[in-house]
Amino acid sequence: MSDIQTTNQSILVVGGGMSGITAALEAAEAGYDVVLVEKNPYLGGRVAQLHQYFPKLCPPNCGLEINFKRMRINPKIRFFTMAEVEKISGEEGDYDVGIKISPRYVNEKCTCCGKCTEVCEVELGNPFNFGMDKIKAAYLPHEFAFPMRYVMDPSIAGTEEGKKCHDACEYGAIDLDMSETHFDLKVGAIVWAAGWEPYDASKVEYYGFGEYKNVITNVMLERLASFNGPTEGKILRPSDGKTVKTVAFIQCAGSRDENHLPYCSGICCLASMKQATYIREQYPDCDVSIFFIDIRALDRLEDFYTKVQEDEKITFIKSKIANITEDEETGALMLEGENTNTGEQIRMNFDLVVLATGMVPNKINTAPSPNVSCDEYGFLTYDPEKAGIYGAGCVRRPTDVASSVQDATAAALKAIQSIARR
Amino acid sequence: MGSYDPSFAKEVFENVDFGDEIKMCMQCGVCAASCPLSLQMDHSPRQIFTLIRAGKREEVLGSQAIMLCTSCYTCEVRCPRKIPVIDVMHGLANYALKHDFVPRKDTANFGGKFWDQIYRIGRIDEKDLSRRYFFAEGIIEGIKGLLGFSDIGLRLFLHKRIKPLPERKIKGIISLRKMLDKAEKMRGRGGASV
Ligand SMILES: Cc1cc2nc3c(=O)[nH]c(=O)nc-3n(C[C@H](O)[C@H](O)[C@H](O)COP(=O)(O)OP(=O)(O)OC[C@H]3O[C@@H](n4cnc5c(N)ncnc54)[C@H](O)[C@@H]3O)c2cc1C
Ligand code: SF4
Ligand code: SF4
Ligand code: SF4
Ligand code: SF4
Repeated sequence: MSDIQTTNQSILVVGGGMSGITAALEAAEAGYDVVLVEKNPYLGGRVAQLHQYFPKLCPPNCGLEINFKRMRINPKIRFFTMAEVEKISGEEGDYDVGIKISPRYVNEKCTCCGKCTEVCEVELGNPFNFGMDKIKAAYLPHEFAFPMRYVMDPSIAGTEEGKKCHDACEYGAIDLDMSETHFDLKVGAIVWAAGWEPYDASKVEYYGFGEYKNVITNVMLERLASFNGPTEGKILRPSDGKTVKTVAFIQCAGSRDENHLPYCSGICCLASMKQATYIREQYPDCDVSIFFIDIRALDRLEDFYTKVQEDEKITFIKSKIANITEDEETGALMLEGENTNTGEQIRMNFDLVVLATGMVPNKINTAPSPNVSCDEYGFLTYDPEKAGIYGAGCVRRPTDVASSVQDATAAALKAIQSIARR
Repeated sequence: MGSYDPSFAKEVFENVDFGDEIKMCMQCGVCAASCPLSLQMDHSPRQIFTLIRAGKREEVLGSQAIMLCTSCYTCEVRCPRKIPVIDVMHGLANYALKHDFVPRKDTANFGGKFWDQIYRIGRIDEKDLSRRYFFAEGIIEGIKGLLGFSDIGLRLFLHKRIKPLPERKIKGIISLRKMLDKAEKMRGRGGASV
């Protein structure tokens, strides 16, 4: 791995989500050498976890697949999974960066035969499904993973269990001696596209997330609805596995709130409306209520809002819910709020509550941090005085895929200019 | 109704202590639904703030809600705009009193009972509090009043909002009383500022 050669004409892209992949492809297709580092064992970022894309309601894997294909045929891009940037020093046109690669314990000989998973008896909470189900400690991160290669969890690598998996592999693909590796690169510009984390919903303690089983988050719902998710696409109540007749969405759960994220996360209104439509498709009798402060659906996305409003089983209620209480026997949830259109106090019961949690940007995490500018919330901003490192996608503002892709294209151009200026 | 009249809002922003804080209110309703006294209040804090913007002077300054606020802080810690709801409510109450809007007797009564109960057991027992509140006017009035509210009581009970047995004293009741005594003394000296 450390045989990789780069120069100050190369570009480093950090993060292999839609933004990072786009920035890497755009720069590579313009003729520049690109190194992409991704901390997960697969590329695709958060988009790989979505069930459908708004507003077209198509499966996200198809868009990802097109990009992976572009990557496979382009020799100018080299990418590393399970990789992170440890240090960044230097200046525009001349950076030294340190990369750390965590051991995967599975090499390129893996054919995805699945034997290692079969014999492995140790289970872990599945991070791809937010811990809603279990995976074996030797596993494929998900069905459409790119690169399509198994991973072994470090917790079993040095144990008997690890050896058992090793012995089961007929292709010599499991290498228990792998260890963490480090190498340095020279690059001329850096695109930071490390994306976002869902806001920790348990911090909004009056919604009882983590305590009430049937209070879930919007990102969890994407997994529940996905065919390769923990319930094979059936949206079921976590407490008892029953189907749902009433579902509530609580908008701005932690966003637009001075006690949590003061900013609007931009996409969660659209995400909830998208989710409401696929719940209604799965359960034609289900009643969905969306509790909101205001609905934010900008530009042409407003058409989607208009369309969702036409469904008479989806009700929009103007109220920020202030409290949830659980009926311990039935698992039903009582929501309290004030309907701010009518002034009435709301007390309604639901089978399932979805918190529309917002996005927290993944900031540059090297120590010491390079000279970049951020806004008061930690989103990267563009400052011509500090050229050389550019944000792309959700590290710059909470937004949808289409805008992330545009932003990443702009970042690729800026990175190319940084090199051209030298 | 005539056209939009911003004069009362202006009066509040300029003259009421913390009155200009309500400019930041985004009308989300969290305060209303968090307030333990929302059932007793004629207008929730959110409604008060919007009535101010709508120019409803009599309705706001004559509202018992501004007198009822017990400074429990529930709304204030949850308000997404960090509006000091308590200070605004108290500012309005003071302003109303100064302008001869006499708080309704039962409001004052309710406040008194609320205080007494905290002093006795260190917490609020909704059943007991409402009983004491309704019977303050005498037995007959009390029964009438309670009957009027029995559906709410029953619903609260069904939703496990009211426990059937009386609440017990909290553990630190002695120290709480000491604090309350001190607060009472400070109030006697003309109000405490923390
Ligand atoms: C519930 C929900 C539903 C959504 N639905 C839609 C939708 O239907 N349509 C739509 O257009 N948008 C949707 N979005 C928004 C969409 O998820 C984002 O626009 C998209 O993920 C942005 O891509 P990104 O590449 O900027 O970030 P990410 O997808 O977060 O990708 C960042 C990548 O960087 C990696 N990374 C992080 N830190 C490091 C590091 N230090 N080193 C190396 N790598 C790192 C991460 O592992 C990840 O792979 C939804 C969002 C939510 C919350
Ligand atoms: S690591 Fe070996 S056993 Fe496991 S899936 Fe790959 S080839 Fe099969
Ligand atoms: S997009 Fe909608 S739900 Fe998300 S923070 Fe903004 S207003 Fe709230
Ligand atoms: S919680 Fe705050 S912002 Fe929301 S209505 Fe009440 S005062 Fe206004
Ligand atoms: S501080 Fe006053 S207005 Fe706010 S919740 Fe408590 S009693 Fe209600």
